[in-house]
Amino acid sequence: MNDLTELFNKLFVNFNYIVAATLFVIGLYTVIAKSNLIKKFMGLNIIETSVFLFIVSSGAIVGGKAPIIGEGVSSKTAFVNPIPQALILTGIVVAMSTTAVALSLMIKLYEQCGTLNADKLKELK
Amino acid sequence: MKKGIIIFAVFLFWLLLVSAMVSLPPMGSPENPAYSHIVPRYLEEGVEEAGAHNIITGIILNYRGYDTMGEVTVILTALMGVLAVLGRENLLHHTSKVDESTIERSVIVKCVVRLLVPFIILFALYIILHGAESPGGGFQGGAILGASVIALTLTFGFSLTVKKLPLKYRTVFESAGPLGFFISGVIGLFCGLNFLTYIIPSVAPAYQDLIRHLLLLIIEIGIGVGGGTIIASVFLAMEKVGKE
Repeated sequence: MNDLTELFNKLFVNFNYIVAATLFVIGLYTVIAKSNLIKKFMGLNIIETSVFLFIVSSGAIVGGKAPIIGEGVSSKTAFVNPIPQALILTGIVVAMSTTAVALSLMIKLYEQCGTLNADKLKELK
Repeated sequence: MKKGIIIFAVFLFWLLLVSAMVSLPPMGSPENPAYSHIVPRYLEEGVEEAGAHNIITGIILNYRGYDTMGEVTVILTALMGVLAVLGRENLLHHTSKVDESTIERSVIVKCVVRLLVPFIILFALYIILHGAESPGGGFQGGAILGASVIALTLTFGFSLTVKKLPLKYRTVFESAGPLGFFISGVIGLFCGLNFLTYIIPSVAPAYQDLIRHLLLLIIEIGIGVGGGTIIASVFLAMEKVGKE
């Protein structure tokens, strides 16, 4: 019983991580189960979002402020970790770029084949 | 049946992820290994070393300048990919779904967009130019700029945006990001220092801070304008429909 409460405590402390895992799994389900290519790509974007949430959460500090040094702020523990945020900024831009390229390919595919259904596209050959 | 199997497999994967996350260090404690390595140095000396009160701007433009330069090249390459697949829009041959639509656009939407777009652009410029001092920066401001162009296109039609943002200007602005990095970075090379150093040694030390600020500002403006124009160009390339 004691072990179980300890486990739940650990889970509750890492609540953001659990949400990130859930989002990842939702995205994975969308990628596997849906046959529409745009929906598949939406799933991929959900996976990306979950990874962003996970990495930004790993830099969080309880009661931490945004790392902008101004007047009257000196204690170093008062700020959250800036490195994950800088990394995720890169990640968001790359996610946007891949989305743009994928969507343009889908537009061309729809013009040529008239469908975005992955199962039907497989039969076209 | 197929769905059930997928849900079961995905649930097993979720259990695996969660069981791994239980053993991670507790979130939000300052004793995290991620927090104890290089972060104290960034937080204590970042303002003097990187030249920006916003530590994140200092990291992405100075400590990790090469990374950001690659990132800017990535969005330019993405634009190239989109244009290679879809091609540029041309008012002689293309129109858009918005222009073809027979539904009258709502007066309320038109009024609100017309009133708000100048302020949206002003806000984007504030975000870009004030990125070193407050939350914000080039990418964020660029996204807002691009969004304002998209809002204009969706309410007032495709042809207006294409006429207001002619191709000959857009081709220059799209490459503003890498260009800003090139201009600011090469100055260090000419002074015998490394690429992206942001220092001109022959200037008096009192002005060194100002110069670094200006060079960072050039990069921020380049990223913001370049990012905004790239978003607008991608949107216009996707929005166009061939004329019959």
